[in-house]
Amino acid sequence: MKRISILLLTASSLAVPACTSDATQPGGGGDDGTGPGSGSGSQDEWQTQLNSRVTDYNAALRIASLRLTGDLPTVTEINQIAKAPDDASKKTAYETIVRDYIGRPAFAKQMFAFWQDTFKIGGTPAFDTAPAFAAKLSVENGSYMDLFTKSANNCPTFANGVFADVECTNGGPKAGVLTNPGVMASFTSNLAFRRVRWIQETFDCVRFPAELGGTPQDVGGASLYTGQWPFTSIASPTNGGGRVNFQDASSAMCAHCHQTLNHIAPLFGNYDATGAYKTTIQVTVPLPGAPVAQLNDWLPPGDTTAWRYQKSAMDIPGLGAAMAADPEIAKCGVARIWNWALGKTDIVDTLQEVPTETIQSQIDAFTQNGFKMKDLIFAVFTSSDFVAF
Amino acid sequence: MTRFGYILTILVGASLGVAACSDSIDEPAAKPDPGSTTGGDDTTFDHDNDGPTVWELIDRLTKEGPPSFTSHVHSCSKVRIATLGQVLTSVGVNLGIAGTTTAPSAGDLYKTGASALGASSYANRIRENIGITTSGASREFDIFAAGADQIIAAVPTLGRCQVGGVGPQLFNGDTCTAEGITCLIGTPAQTSHVQLCNLTITGASDPTVGKRLAVAALLAAAYTCE
Repeated sequence: MKRISILLLTASSLAVPACTSDATQPGGGGDDGTGPGSGSGSQDEWQTQLNSRVTDYNAALRIASLRLTGDLPTVTEINQIAKAPDDASKKTAYETIVRDYIGRPAFAKQMFAFWQDTFKIGGTPAFDTAPAFAAKLSVENGSYMDLFTKSANNCPTFANGVFADVECTNGGPKAGVLTNPGVMASFTSNLAFRRVRWIQETFDCVRFPAELGGTPQDVGGASLYTGQWPFTSIASPTNGGGRVNFQDASSAMCAHCHQTLNHIAPLFGNYDATGAYKTTIQVTVPLPGAPVAQLNDWLPPGDTTAWRYQKSAMDIPGLGAAMAADPEIAKCGVARIWNWALGKTDIVDTLQEVPTETIQSQIDAFTQNGFKMKDLIFAVFTSSDFVAF
Repeated sequence: MTRFGYILTILVGASLGVAACSDSIDEPAAKPDPGSTTGGDDTTFDHDNDGPTVWELIDRLTKEGPPSFTSHVHSCSKVRIATLGQVLTSVGVNLGIAGTTTAPSAGDLYKTGASALGASSYANRIRENIGITTSGASREFDIFAAGADQIIAAVPTLGRCQVGGVGPQLFNGDTCTAEGITCLIGTPAQTSHVQLCNLTITGASDPTVGKRLAVAALLAAAYTCE
């Protein structure tokens, strides 16, 4: 069931039965995000609208040109499609031009800008290395998973349309952009939580909480704990001596987010505010005097770091490997490219969800063909949805 | 149930559960209640609880349709600022030409319009806003209007629009040409484009003003959405 359906089903189930004794069947929406309240029309109406679209390769070309090259198509390119004798010829002409676009230097600039916006970082040489790294992968048809696993030359420069390999000099482990000094500096915070949030939202396309659906437990709070991790797996003053009570359940259930956060954040605790890796923990705890964090501020003794429940990650390269193996990460990557192509706003900030069904064929191809970035971009910009209006 | 579903179930449940028995439903938020993630001096710190509210989401769903529909169709995103600059150059605007205090040039308006156009602020971890705003659309139209004379003069010489070394004329006397409009908007001009263009010219106080308005209107319509 989609999140929109859940939202509306919950709204009706909570708002009405709470004040009456009616055993009203809540919701009624379908499993595809449609149904009462989830849009002003029925599923048939929306499907009718989708079916009524017509293929327009010239309209698609204009959008593709602006997104992939940052410029308008030439009249010659426009005419190659407009004067093609039939749809099959138009399709061939369109795909030929798109392939040309993603081979141009201008494409590199567009990808650089795309990744700056996606990462929300850039503008200085230090902060530009992560977007440059991702843009380089995109332009060179590299694996998306290198973002999390590449162990060398992770701080490239990008100038005048040209990438140059550069090794990161901030020390410590190397794992794609996960250890990028600009990222570590830009998202520095108490207990390294902002760094983890950036990873979560950028690459999993979902805000915390990320691991719900566990067996509901009464932990003495205002609501039940439904996390995947054991409630006792995160620290509190009474659970391992942590100085922050992550087991607080008096209002919001802190553990719903912190079950995941706390198992990742210690991995990023050794980076200082400039993004340099140190041999000791550098991040602080938001307490008077801003004391330096200790491992038991995140986790009780015996608990170890992990990407997700039962997905252990003993170091950042291990985290990157676990992320690369997570299907949700690949799906998120496809969804971000999809939303960019179709002109959507940020998938997390504005909840521009892309149902898996919409991009299943692109996900399958992406997964089966080594997560190649440029291949994905071509597939999206030549998809049947992209050329339909 | 997806992870999204669990998140929103909890958020809506928490918010509506409280409001359900009151006479009116106050706006619930798609986030913990204000203050609920702000603890005492010795436990926690202020959390960032921004994001769309449940009501904003419902409003959007009502207007735009469910994700199963919207994810298949193009949205109308703003032309990115850098792309707008390149488009202006491509249609013949010289962004280096300075105007006056009372009549700023298209280049002046473009170069000073970053905030209005939704520029990024990476230092604050804010990406470029690609949503259409009143300020952004207004500034864009002002830029097109200010650059219209340059565009009209430049179209025949634009390499991008030439076929076989010959560029199109935007106007044939006081009427618009489809070839010229195609050059401006980046897709084959339709009859309606030509009609609108001609109507704008004939409805203006004089043909020169009308041509400026026609160019600005065509560009504004074409580049409201990328």
